[in-house]
Amino acid sequence: MNVDNVMVRAVRLTKRYAAGRAEKVALREVSLAIPAGQFWVITGPSGSGKTTLLGLLAGMIAPTSGEAHLAGRPITHLRDHHRALVRRRLVGMVFQEFALVSGMSLEENLFLPWVPQGGAGRAERARARALLERFGLAEFAPTPVERLSAGERQRGALIRALVADAPILMLDEPTAALDSENVRTLLALLLALRDEGRTILATTHDRRLAEDPRVDGVLRLVDGVLEP
Amino acid sequence: MKRQLALICFALGSARRRAGRSFALGFALALVTFALSAVLFLTEALRREFRLAVATLPDLTVQQLAAGRPALIAEQEQAAIAAIPGVIAARPRVWGYYFVSSLSGNFTVVGVDTDDGAVRRDLALVSMNGRLPSSNVSGEVVMGAAAAAFFGLEPGDAITLPVGRAEKRLQLVGVFRSEVGLWTADVLLMSEADAREFLHVPPGYCTDLAVHLSTPDEATVVARKIADRLPGARIVDRQLMARTYDLTFDTRGGLLGAMLLPALVAFLVLVWDRLTGVGTGERREIGVLKAVGWQTGDVLLARSWENAAIAFQGAAVGIVGAYLYVFGARAPGLAEVLMGWSTLYPALRLTPAVEGGQMLVLLCLAVIPFVVAGLVPAWRVATQDPHGLLRGTV
Repeated sequence: MNVDNVMVRAVRLTKRYAAGRAEKVALREVSLAIPAGQFWVITGPSGSGKTTLLGLLAGMIAPTSGEAHLAGRPITHLRDHHRALVRRRLVGMVFQEFALVSGMSLEENLFLPWVPQGGAGRAERARARALLERFGLAEFAPTPVERLSAGERQRGALIRALVADAPILMLDEPTAALDSENVRTLLALLLALRDEGRTILATTHDRRLAEDPRVDGVLRLVDGVLEP
Repeated sequence: MKRQLALICFALGSARRRAGRSFALGFALALVTFALSAVLFLTEALRREFRLAVATLPDLTVQQLAAGRPALIAEQEQAAIAAIPGVIAARPRVWGYYFVSSLSGNFTVVGVDTDDGAVRRDLALVSMNGRLPSSNVSGEVVMGAAAAAFFGLEPGDAITLPVGRAEKRLQLVGVFRSEVGLWTADVLLMSEADAREFLHVPPGYCTDLAVHLSTPDEATVVARKIADRLPGARIVDRQLMARTYDLTFDTRGGLLGAMLLPALVAFLVLVWDRLTGVGTGERREIGVLKAVGWQTGDVLLARSWENAAIAFQGAAVGIVGAYLYVFGARAPGLAEVLMGWSTLYPALRLTPAVEGGQMLVLLCLAVIPFVVAGLVPAWRVATQDPHGLLRGTV
């Protein structure tokens, strides 16, 4: 694999948590490389470390050892505020429970990442409008997110991740709250985004996603170890 | 600026989203600010009234004592005092208290010679509606605003009051304004002859002697000389009186303020406790913000604005409430504590007198500790892994 073409890389990533006096190994020496413009899926049973791996790759968790790289840059040893900047510029993240702020409208949630910069600019607003249209949520823009269905919230979270136009999209269990029809819609959207050039990494239990032939690669985690 | 505005908008939205918590904290802060502001406003308003009153006093007031109590003083002593170097004038004054048993009202009757230029100059300092009573016309009176209201009189009206077993008809020719209410509230100002009649002061005697000096700073020296010439007299020094009032209000106001400090501390403990226990929803929200790229500083800034907005609103409500309580409702409960040594009849209405500096101090006292108390717990949460905050594992 051409190293220059790798968008997401993990080098012997290990994460240990203190569990009382004992220590729990969530992830053990995981190494991987996801090429740019591909759609990869991480599968594995509950508690296997999928979400932790995604958090480490997105720079949201500091590893115990090892190194994570995004777009060729190591992010592990960056200070908190630099990691936040990298996350904002390079990664669009969709969380399992959508991570939308209740009490705020869908539109306010979409522009949350830009608040510390003085609010979203014209480009972001135009992109958000286009994405809301594309995902069929234009009419729900002013609706408080707690009034949206699970599928609508899922798409809303995806739009927020895409408004920044970040080259990497990471999704944690994106189909967990969706029915079959919404899973099909989401998969089609993700494949379209991949075809537009985004690198996509999703964790999932869902066979429909993991076994779809259009997905570029599947990684399987068991007890914090990546299976060969 | 744009960044701060965006964070302020977000913070205001957050305060609205957590309306219950915001209301509880704002309400508690309003109560504490109300109590502190009420003490401060009332103390300052009383101090101002007394300063105004003291400013119109003579440099020295000489009273005769008999059996340790004030007694009438012979007017002939006036000449002896006037001869002391440094004394410009020593004027006999006729005044005293007049009780109307049928109305249960106690009033201060003051007799003045309005033909005397010096008296007119002193009275010109006192704000009033109408005119002064004539010296040579019997039956004219100027009343304090509270006294006039008590009798239900307006300038031009007349009233008949008992004088011993007889009665005397008085016509109201003027009313002192409420801004000098503390020292004119219960005053009935009339000609000296009418005052003698009301108070039963015989000719040749007066209540006291008002002594004016060329150099007020020498009051102590002159007072000693007067005491040498009039053994048994009591001499009241205006400057001493002003210092006494100031000390009295400083002490009482300070004491009340000190009593309120535990309330402020209790409130801060409550804030600390409330904000330390950042709820699951709030922790998750901070996790979302961090996850979408907010830095720890951004989160803290937004929380500071949110807390400042709550504190500012709470403090503003407390201050406005205290203003209405002190100057509108006359501070029931508190006024008795601060003015406890004398009860004024008719009721006193204080003139609103609040300085911008006072407001600033009150706002700072309320807002700054509140914002600071909320920062540490927010910092503790904001420095956690966003991933852990979202999953509820930290």
